[in-house]
Amino acid sequence: MTLLRRAVDGLSIPLLAILLGLAASSFFVILAGAQPIETYQRLFCEGFGPRGCETFGDLLITQVENEDGTTQTVFSPTYGAGGSRIALLLEQATPLILTALSAAVAFQAGMFSIGMDGQFLMGAITVAFLGYWIPDQIYLLAGVTDPEAAPQALLTLMHLFVPLLCLGAAMLAGAIYSWIPGYIKIKLNVNELISTIIFNAIAVQLMGYLVNFPLRSDLNNIARTRRIDDTAWLVPFNRGIFADIEWFSGARLGVGFLIALAAAVLIWFYLKRTTTGYEQRMTRGSLLFARFGGVPTTRAVLRAMLISGALSGLAGALVVLGVERRVVDGFAISGTGFEGVLVAILSKESIIGILLVAPFFAGLNLGATNLQFGNLPRQLGGIIISFIILFSAMEDFLRLRVASLWSKRLLLQRTPTVDREDGAAA
Amino acid sequence: MTSALEMQHIRKYFPSSRVLACDDVNLEVQKGEVHAIVGENGAGKTTLMSILYGLVIPDQGQILINSVPARIAHPHDAIRLGIGMVHQHFKLVPSFTIAENIMLGIEPNRAGFIDGGAEAENVRRLAESFGLPVNPDLRIRDVSVGMQQRVEILKILQRNAQILILDEPTAVLTPQEVRELLAVVRNLAKAGRTILFITHKLAEVKAVADNVTIMRRGQNVGTHATHGISIRDTANMMVGRVVTLQVEKTPAKPGEVILNAEHLLVAGSGGIPAVFGTSLEVRTGEILGIAGVSGNGQTELVEAIVGLRPVDQGTITFLGKDITHTTVRERREMGVAHIPEDRMVMGLNLKTNLDENVVVTSYHQQPYSKRGFLRLQPIRQLAKQIVDKFSVRSARVGEEIKTLSGGNLQKIVLGRELKGNPKLIIANQPTRGLDVGSIEFVHKTLIEERDKGAGVLLVSVELDEILALSDRIAVMFAGRVLAILDATEATEEKLGLLMAGSALETAESSGEKAHI
Repeated sequence: MTLLRRAVDGLSIPLLAILLGLAASSFFVILAGAQPIETYQRLFCEGFGPRGCETFGDLLITQVENEDGTTQTVFSPTYGAGGSRIALLLEQATPLILTALSAAVAFQAGMFSIGMDGQFLMGAITVAFLGYWIPDQIYLLAGVTDPEAAPQALLTLMHLFVPLLCLGAAMLAGAIYSWIPGYIKIKLNVNELISTIIFNAIAVQLMGYLVNFPLRSDLNNIARTRRIDDTAWLVPFNRGIFADIEWFSGARLGVGFLIALAAAVLIWFYLKRTTTGYEQRMTRGSLLFARFGGVPTTRAVLRAMLISGALSGLAGALVVLGVERRVVDGFAISGTGFEGVLVAILSKESIIGILLVAPFFAGLNLGATNLQFGNLPRQLGGIIISFIILFSAMEDFLRLRVASLWSKRLLLQRTPTVDREDGAAA
Repeated sequence: MTSALEMQHIRKYFPSSRVLACDDVNLEVQKGEVHAIVGENGAGKTTLMSILYGLVIPDQGQILINSVPARIAHPHDAIRLGIGMVHQHFKLVPSFTIAENIMLGIEPNRAGFIDGGAEAENVRRLAESFGLPVNPDLRIRDVSVGMQQRVEILKILQRNAQILILDEPTAVLTPQEVRELLAVVRNLAKAGRTILFITHKLAEVKAVADNVTIMRRGQNVGTHATHGISIRDTANMMVGRVVTLQVEKTPAKPGEVILNAEHLLVAGSGGIPAVFGTSLEVRTGEILGIAGVSGNGQTELVEAIVGLRPVDQGTITFLGKDITHTTVRERREMGVAHIPEDRMVMGLNLKTNLDENVVVTSYHQQPYSKRGFLRLQPIRQLAKQIVDKFSVRSARVGEEIKTLSGGNLQKIVLGRELKGNPKLIIANQPTRGLDVGSIEFVHKTLIEERDKGAGVLLVSVELDEILALSDRIAVMFAGRVLAILDATEATEEKLGLLMAGSALETAESSGEKAHI
């Protein structure tokens, strides 16, 4: 199969699913007193389009007015006036990519772990604390009283190593938090689905406690932790290296996105090209087969849980270090972990799929949130997203339908190539 | 006589696997006839029957029931037309009683509540009318496989089936149960029912069927009266060439003992001991057969020897080393190969491609990986070697294996297990569900390995197979080895009695009686 054919094959069904999802949610759109087509244009424009996007066509090509009154035709995704929405959706896709990778790694070891939310929170709270605590200790040791007046060399060093330390610690926290359900599954046969759900609930409560009591920094109405030190901050592109490029101006897109992309490549390589990845995939494919072949299955599963947890922990850390810079009470309801699970399932755990679906998901979320600016209820966005997910989950069914339509046409056109079975030895 | 069933010009092509499963097949069956359908795996028998039962929709062709064209788009249609099917894998609810299973969906009720008494009574009457006695109150999980099959047959008779499709009904039965089943089939035919009997085993065809249809590569290559065609000719037609039914082998030249299992105590899945103090020895250059009815501890014994199941007591010595508590991998690296009972779940991972399947026992070694990274080229070469050497048809390097036939899958398992010249080969039901051609190949391969000096432990519920291949025969019953006989002194009767739990002396005396 040519690459083009494969791309068409891969994309046609998801596209069909999206269309069906939109068609089905029209019922609710009309019920809410809105025009379906207009609503969908609004949803996609707010999620994926440039400033001033009005129609589906504007998603690709937009006519924009220059300052001197002339109009100009631009390729929308690259158009950045007022800050590109693509940058914003990539910012929001960053943790989603990581939690989806996290889910995929666990799933591909045969563990239906959905503990990404809990691990995400553990990573987030860890760096929310270490992000100011580690710099504090360093300043103390170096005898610096005013960080502003610290020697430049020290600050440069800290800018390099403090984020690394924080990320490492967050990954460790996530990994441990994920390892426990794995371990009790193997030792005590506790269903990982149940234990990870409970671990998520524990993490939410723990987070609430930490933010409200030991780590509460001030008497702000909503409890929050102290802001992380500037040396721990992963400066977003719009405040750092790309400050002059308008495309980045509206989003806190930063090095975290590159880390997520790198993680995707590494995880792909781990799963497909290393013996350890092979071990976990075989364990998932058939536990009996793996044990029969001599694969150390217990180790493979626990390793997968550690990696999975580390990825979710990393996601939480990047949100705090690169976007929020602190944890505010209510942070726990973000649901990034659970959305990661959905992304992983919808993309069939394929890494390339995750890289495509996560931004799409982020864009839809963005569009749904912004529906309210068009005087449409925000909840409508949620319903539309749910229908799209539902129909995407029917992918196999759709594929079968489309395939049988095709094969009927093909049968009429030509005699197929036939592979005959021949069980006998020649 | 009218024809109960006619299938005309049936054609079915599976686009996903690019297989033309049925190619212009015609089949005519008379009322009251037992009609056997034989063919290798992948010959199209099952597809043809699935079409008749409404599980598969044909691309072309028509079906006539009692000379009336019938449209069968769903099993409901088939059942309405009086067609019933007993699948190879039973579809029964283990926690329900026999009566509840038979009446499932058509329960007699009183004001909406199931009338349990009437249910049992109905079933008892039904069972008696067909001479198939059952106890309607027993639960399915407590009865033997043969009894479960009987329940399946009663289930479709209760739904008034006139045409019964039996898909490889004897594959799971003991020799005694097979004999009973064949008698039941004859009786049903005598009562006017029409039976389609799908099988691999040609001796059964001879014993039970009036006519036999032979399928090869999706085509009907001939329908014959069973009394007019020999087993040999049938086999040749199935395979499309001359097959040797007899296993050719020279006397064994056994060497020293390589495997010594002593007083093994092994727990089964429920934690209850499945192997009680079993001891046995395997020598180089011999095949030790383990005969026994399925479920008498053979599988647990095999799993203990290969390291998949913990040994509670006793020792296993291999090449003079105690391996009782070593890992599967350590044993494999010492030269133990294992051809497992279930090739679909244990022998292979059908969810992945050929390459990843052939490398599962050696992926951690050079040249297949280096410092934890897989090396695709050597793995691909290994897959290619196995496909070439064992002529695994239609298996391609890097491609999925789930659509391959049972025979081809087993060849992949053999290829992987026999590479690197293992010293001990443990083969558990190596030919289960395979067709004549593949069985011949597996047997030949095992004997070749023996002649190369490997020790072979062969576990099989097929007595013919045990008798044909083994140099010594151990009989297992209820977790114990009752006797180990030399192949020359073993007879089918003697083994049959031992398999049923008689002591050797009784078996011998009655065996002698049988000879007199």
